[in-house]
Amino acid sequence: MPRTSNFAPLIVTALAGLLAQGCVRPDGAHPTLPGQELFRACVACHGTEGQGTPSVAAPPIAGLPAWYVEAQLGKFRSGLRGYHPDDAEGLRMRPMSRQMMDEAEVKAVSEYVSTLALKPQAPTLTGGDAEKGKAAYGTCMACHGDKGQGNPALKAPPIAGQADWYLLAQLQKFKGGLRGTNPADVSGGQMRPMSLTLADEQAMKNVIAHIGTLPR
Amino acid sequence: MIDHYVPAASTFAPHIDDLIILIGAVVGFWGLLAEVVFIGLILKFKAEPGVKSKYVSGELPKEKRWVSIPHYATLAFDLLILVMALRVWHEVKLEMPKPDETVRVIAQQWAWTFVHPGADGILDTSDDITTIDELHVVNDKTYQFELTSRDVLHSFSVPVFRLKQDAIPGRIIKGWFKPTMTGQFDIQCTEICGIGHGLMPARIVIETADQHANWVKANTALAAVAPAAPAPTPTPTGGMP
Repeated sequence: MPRTSNFAPLIVTALAGLLAQGCVRPDGAHPTLPGQELFRACVACHGTEGQGTPSVAAPPIAGLPAWYVEAQLGKFRSGLRGYHPDDAEGLRMRPMSRQMMDEAEVKAVSEYVSTLALKPQAPTLTGGDAEKGKAAYGTCMACHGDKGQGNPALKAPPIAGQADWYLLAQLQKFKGGLRGTNPADVSGGQMRPMSLTLADEQAMKNVIAHIGTLPR
Repeated sequence: MIDHYVPAASTFAPHIDDLIILIGAVVGFWGLLAEVVFIGLILKFKAEPGVKSKYVSGELPKEKRWVSIPHYATLAFDLLILVMALRVWHEVKLEMPKPDETVRVIAQQWAWTFVHPGADGILDTSDDITTIDELHVVNDKTYQFELTSRDVLHSFSVPVFRLKQDAIPGRIIKGWFKPTMTGQFDIQCTEICGIGHGLMPARIVIETADQHANWVKANTALAAVAPAAPAPTPTPTGGMP
């Protein structure tokens, strides 16, 4: 056997040590990974193209504005969203958001998500009356815009083109106090009273049916 | 010895450490001895020029001793380990000391919800304090916990307590602990529970009675604003599996 084989364990140990060094990320000294690479942490639930997975209640995120994704990731990371024991989906997202090591990574992945092509969402809810919903949408219009295009100045995300099941779930969470009740969550706190204007699930379905008619 | 690396912060933690050391010493001693004998025999009976190999059937009493003595030693030491382990098992899992307080531990993907009894010391009353990923307890108080899961299998592990208990959907599993030092320590899930399993840490904050009273006071107002987690509904099943 060649003499060098005696050194094999030593070489393997040294290589493992070098590899471990590569994993060390001292504070502030690590490079920010590209958004596309960071997005791998999201694909298990949100899909490879950010199209969402209704079976695990993961909404489509492709094409959402970077400022909104960044803001929501920030809320999940700081506990302003996904803090309520009954918010199962939020509690699942909370630790996932913390896979981003710092603000720079949050920003990078948010910008990448915003570059993904918006995926058309097939309607899943039945029984919504878009005509009735149009009247109720007047309340939403002030922040989300007449076409549901959103308004960054008011921190209101675009809602046109969003999955109807997700919109219903979020309206129910706002109304039920599972979201938007943390005093530090200013924009969530603004949305919560708006959700309270919708009397019941039928009213929510109506307004969502109207949102479904808005082009995006 | 072990508490040099991971503090022992419950009344039964030192007993579990003693058991681990006992098992390590017994298995380590006999394991090393077996290796020494094995390597010694290999060296003693290695191939020598001009010496023919010999078939050993292992039927003679002096040959059988190489098997029978370790066999009886194994049985004797197994019995020792079994007795010591049962003593610890009985203390940790079968005994249920009268608790000073009860806390509810609810596992779900991928968070821990803790329901504290609040100022009145009684669960399921209006002053309960519900927290996510943070359990507050008082040093030197005996706690009973009611553990359940909302979705899949989890495992409630507090390394400094040397405590680990599976959480099973549909069951309420009761256990206990009594902290012996103040400080903040890790809680972790030790049952693979999905893609976020590794991201499911929590903290246990062991406080003095005064610190805890202040914490309860500060959080009672918040508890009144945020609705408490609903109590788990499955039928209690008593002891731990």
